[in-house]
Amino acid sequence: MAPPQQSQRSPSPSQPSGKGEVSDLKSQLRQLAGSRAPGVDDSKRELFKKVISYMTIGIDVSPLFGEMVMCSAASDIVLKKMCYLYVGNYAKVNPDLALLTINFLQRDCKDEDPMIRGLALRSLCSLRVANLVEYLVGPLGSGLKDSNSYVRMVAVIGVLKLYHISASTCVDAEFPSTLKHLMLNDPDALVVANCLSALQEIWTLEASTAEEAAREREALLSKPVVYYFLNRIKEFSEWAQCLVLELAAKYVPSDSNEIFDIMNLLEDRLQHANGAVVLATTKVFLQLTLSMADVHQQVYERIKAPLLTLVSSGSPEQSYAVLSHLHLLVMRAPYIFSGDYKHFYCQYNEPSYVKKLKLEMLTAVANESNTYEIVTELCEYAANVDIPIARESIRAVGKIALQQYDVNAIVDRLLQFLEMEKDYVTAEALVLVKDLLRKYPQWSQDCIAVVGNISSKNVQEPKAKAALIWMLGEYSQDMQDAPYALESLVENWDEEHSPEVRLHLLTAVMKCFFKKPPETQKALGAALAAGLADYHQDVHDRALFYYRLLQYNVSVAERVVNPPKQAVSVFADTQSSEVKDRIFDEFNSLSVVYQKPSYMFTDKEHRGPFEFSDELGNLSIGAESADTVVPAQSVEANDKDLLLSTTEKEDGRDLGSNGSAYSAPSYSSAATSQSHEELALTNASVLGQAPASSFAIDDLLGLDFPVGGTAAAPPPPPPSLRLNPKAVLDPGTFQQKWRQLPISSSQEYSMSPQGVALLTSPNALLKHMKDISIHCIASGGQSPNFKYFFFAQKAEETSTFLVEYIINTSSAKSQIKIKADDQSSSEAFSTLFQSALSKFGSP
Amino acid sequence: MLQCIFLLSDSGEVMLEKQLTGHRVDRSICDWFWEQAVSQGDSFKQLPVVASPTHYLFQVFREGITFLACTQVEMPPLMGIEFLCRVADVLNDYLGGLNEDLIKDNFVIVYELLDEMIDNGFPLTTEPNILQEMIAPPNIVSKMLSVVTGNSSNVSDVLPGATASRVPWRTADAKYANNEVYVDLVEEMDAIISRDGVLVKCEINGEVQVNSHITGIPDLTLSFANPSILDDVRFHRCVRFRPWESHQVLSFVPPDGQFKLMSYRVRKLKSTPIYVKPQLTSDGGTCRVNVMVGIRNDPGKTIDSVTVQFILPPCVLSADLTSNHGTVNIFSDKTCTWSIGRIPKDKAPSMTGTLVLENGLERLHVFPTFRVGFRIMGVALSGLQIEKLDLLKSVPYRFYKGFRALTQAGEFEVRS
Repeated sequence: MAPPQQSQRSPSPSQPSGKGEVSDLKSQLRQLAGSRAPGVDDSKRELFKKVISYMTIGIDVSPLFGEMVMCSAASDIVLKKMCYLYVGNYAKVNPDLALLTINFLQRDCKDEDPMIRGLALRSLCSLRVANLVEYLVGPLGSGLKDSNSYVRMVAVIGVLKLYHISASTCVDAEFPSTLKHLMLNDPDALVVANCLSALQEIWTLEASTAEEAAREREALLSKPVVYYFLNRIKEFSEWAQCLVLELAAKYVPSDSNEIFDIMNLLEDRLQHANGAVVLATTKVFLQLTLSMADVHQQVYERIKAPLLTLVSSGSPEQSYAVLSHLHLLVMRAPYIFSGDYKHFYCQYNEPSYVKKLKLEMLTAVANESNTYEIVTELCEYAANVDIPIARESIRAVGKIALQQYDVNAIVDRLLQFLEMEKDYVTAEALVLVKDLLRKYPQWSQDCIAVVGNISSKNVQEPKAKAALIWMLGEYSQDMQDAPYALESLVENWDEEHSPEVRLHLLTAVMKCFFKKPPETQKALGAALAAGLADYHQDVHDRALFYYRLLQYNVSVAERVVNPPKQAVSVFADTQSSEVKDRIFDEFNSLSVVYQKPSYMFTDKEHRGPFEFSDELGNLSIGAESADTVVPAQSVEANDKDLLLSTTEKEDGRDLGSNGSAYSAPSYSSAATSQSHEELALTNASVLGQAPASSFAIDDLLGLDFPVGGTAAAPPPPPPSLRLNPKAVLDPGTFQQKWRQLPISSSQEYSMSPQGVALLTSPNALLKHMKDISIHCIASGGQSPNFKYFFFAQKAEETSTFLVEYIINTSSAKSQIKIKADDQSSSEAFSTLFQSALSKFGSP
Repeated sequence: MLQCIFLLSDSGEVMLEKQLTGHRVDRSICDWFWEQAVSQGDSFKQLPVVASPTHYLFQVFREGITFLACTQVEMPPLMGIEFLCRVADVLNDYLGGLNEDLIKDNFVIVYELLDEMIDNGFPLTTEPNILQEMIAPPNIVSKMLSVVTGNSSNVSDVLPGATASRVPWRTADAKYANNEVYVDLVEEMDAIISRDGVLVKCEINGEVQVNSHITGIPDLTLSFANPSILDDVRFHRCVRFRPWESHQVLSFVPPDGQFKLMSYRVRKLKSTPIYVKPQLTSDGGTCRVNVMVGIRNDPGKTIDSVTVQFILPPCVLSADLTSNHGTVNIFSDKTCTWSIGRIPKDKAPSMTGTLVLENGLERLHVFPTFRVGFRIMGVALSGLQIEKLDLLKSVPYRFYKGFRALTQAGEFEVRS
């Protein structure tokens, strides 16, 4: 009796050879099925092994289903295991035949050997055939009550499997509540841990439909449950410990004593041999202390050593995962790691993805005291065999130079690079020298002397060529032969494939013309002619524009093309702090490895348990306001909002990063769009303090945009929002609210220089804010980064506003994040807050 | 959590597939992965965490075998990677090595192990001691037993005692005729020596490995003479934290058999046992190489298995290298290995020769990094010393203690 499927199922084309052997096996199995001869078990075992090895290499052996089941009515446990494996693999495609196995599996579930009971139950639940669920309920029920913990442990996971096959059957049998009972009472830690993981999954999925499940899920995070798990944590296996720690990271303690208790209890977990446990503990510590700035910093100090050990011991794969997390922490608080810079030195045979992370960290931790050594180390990498890493390390040297420590020595190094006569080193160094000059124009003399010696023929890469041309144009007054160098470049116009280089060439020739008209005139004419004939639209347009500008008025043209420039103070950051914070919230997840928050790379349905806390937050608000719909929507809206703002920022960032690394003109356009963004956000109120960089516009794109002198916009009208001068909020409530509420407004703001100066006295800002009824609840940080948490309440009702304000005093850039009970008035509050900031420091 | 685990051979063939949840992962993911790996040159260069169009993949590469795990949900990446590393370690223990044939011959055991190590995508038991009680390793003893008793099952009939015992990592009823504990300090020295001979970085990663065979449930304490030199420590779960906090004493109930009690790190060491001085001088298209090796700080024991290895820069056309001690081999992938063995007392080993550079190249621009290997038995170079090892309660039997130490080079590199 061949199964009906056999005839329809054609063997897969890649494995044409399987068919004959399968029918061979079939007849052999059939012979053995009824036999009771001695030694029959051994021959059965050999056959089973063969079947499974076929299955493993991908030959379809499902036609043997019937025979396998017949043969498996044996007492031999290895035979049983192999049969379970086979059945588990093919039951889903052969639901009718799977019925055959139910019988013997159910019998095995009552075996006297707990190992067999457990294995049978596991296999039974792994069949995953929807119409067989009725047979699962009985064995699962008795499995959960089994006297042996191994069976109970299997049964708990079995319940979860049943839930995924048929949720209603699982809930109807009241398994979740049985699990809850087991979770809180079972003596065996593995059973308890499995209950926790099963219940988390079941209740999270149920919560969307059943209110009770939502409450239950919330109860998992209640104080008694979390404490129960934390107190037993040492009994759990290392993997279950990760699970408990994950739970603890979501728990919101009511006061600081509780926070310290939990941290004391968990401190030894940082010494655990399993890296996953260490990282999960780190996450708990970081999350718990978010609102306590100084303790948070101590946590960094405490977790530093364990993480550094994890990086240097263990396999390269583990090392990479830890390093990604360390990278995140280093970027957040580089000063804490500045003494450990040697840990980020690259080893010769590390994979390049590890080296790349390390280079970024070296760049971040550089400060006055260690710059010299770090740069020396980086320069050694420049001679590395691995060319991408050599390039990367030259860029790192440049970035450190832009952080303004010990520029003197670094400039020398960069100039040495230019003399190394390796094309990629020269190319990278040129780009860097250009950026350096934009920030420190005072170095132009030294650099120009070296750059002048470089023949443009030796530079092939477009970015480097563009940088060289930019410098030729910008500093043509100091370079004797700049006009002739440009002229020879113009002569080779047709061989220049990159439009970027041609655009730069046009601008450079123009600039040169204003400085040395007689020598450049010929080159300018040729360049404009070539530009007008160019097939590339942008090049053509720019040439035409220059041409008409010159026709109109030469001095106006000079003002447009070559205005006096102000040094760039800060280059655009590559990743918005919003995104960085979001990644930090998802510490110990894939987000960190990808350096992207999860909403950027996972489907919503797959986001898994990490969405948990957000949803929970908004659920408990729902309970307060007795309206579950509105907050949910607002979270959603906020989510979109966030997405929008980050994509916007990304646009700006793309341009910005381009510019900072390679091309001067396009950078200033990014600066423009940024200030544009700020304008739009803040209702023209910040125009007075618009970043100095917008004056540095030398790009034509910036022309259609009113900048500079026209900035005398009227100050915003006094806001109608009135705040309660005697507002009170205790830190616990603040922290809870901060976690629960979505961000209603997040903005960048440039502090006036007077304001920055005032910040050096610690309480100036706090007092200033208090005068307008915005109170500080916590503050901290080390120069140049400071962080403040403020709160305020409306005068007439108890609606609260929460503010996180982060400022970097060296760049005067700051970030404001506002969360509000009442979303509608957050805009007004934001305006109020910013106008308060703008008054800070002004007499 | 993890949805599926694949084991791939070094030709990309799927040797084993273990589906863990209801969401089946199609095998085609392995083909996708392998194409990526091939296009990247070799799979070691692949990131440990890869995003495929449908799944996130964790991969760990050991002895030519790729352990691949798939997931679709967000999870702690280190958990996935750690777990795969454990799987690799456990298989290595069980099969006495890792290679394609061993896995194919023993795939039933591999399936059984995976069955106990992970259920529904969540890791369960990964303690090798406990696993060995559930599934007997395919060693000679069990083969002999099966011949003698006629019972060839490698699954023990009883559940592991540890699952029920008070100390989850240990069976309650271990019995030995000879009670013994061996403690090994195994250290690896990582160092970077710069072009000018300056010791840029030198640190030691060490482990305390214990092999214990003691009857009953022993409670041991191990103390060091100078625990203050330890920079950071990590413990096996059996170590009690409080005694370490207060007196830097390791107090623990050991698992039965071999295990890693503790790992530690010692930073900022001042010197290395040997020196390696490479000199490269280029002139007119050739480069003269001279590498000298010698003892800098005599550790008091013999320094063994000294090797110096480097990769010739791509711009080198040919190399002619000879040494006055040991052998020099140049392989086709441009790796040069100079095996010195033991450093002789009477002369300083040196390797000399010339490299011929590519046409048109006057000087060498890319300088090779020399990687040094050595082994010193009987010394822990960090200076860590074990003071004593005691059994907490007096026991009726005799009890033998043994201590050893070993230091070898880890990432020891000398730049030129």
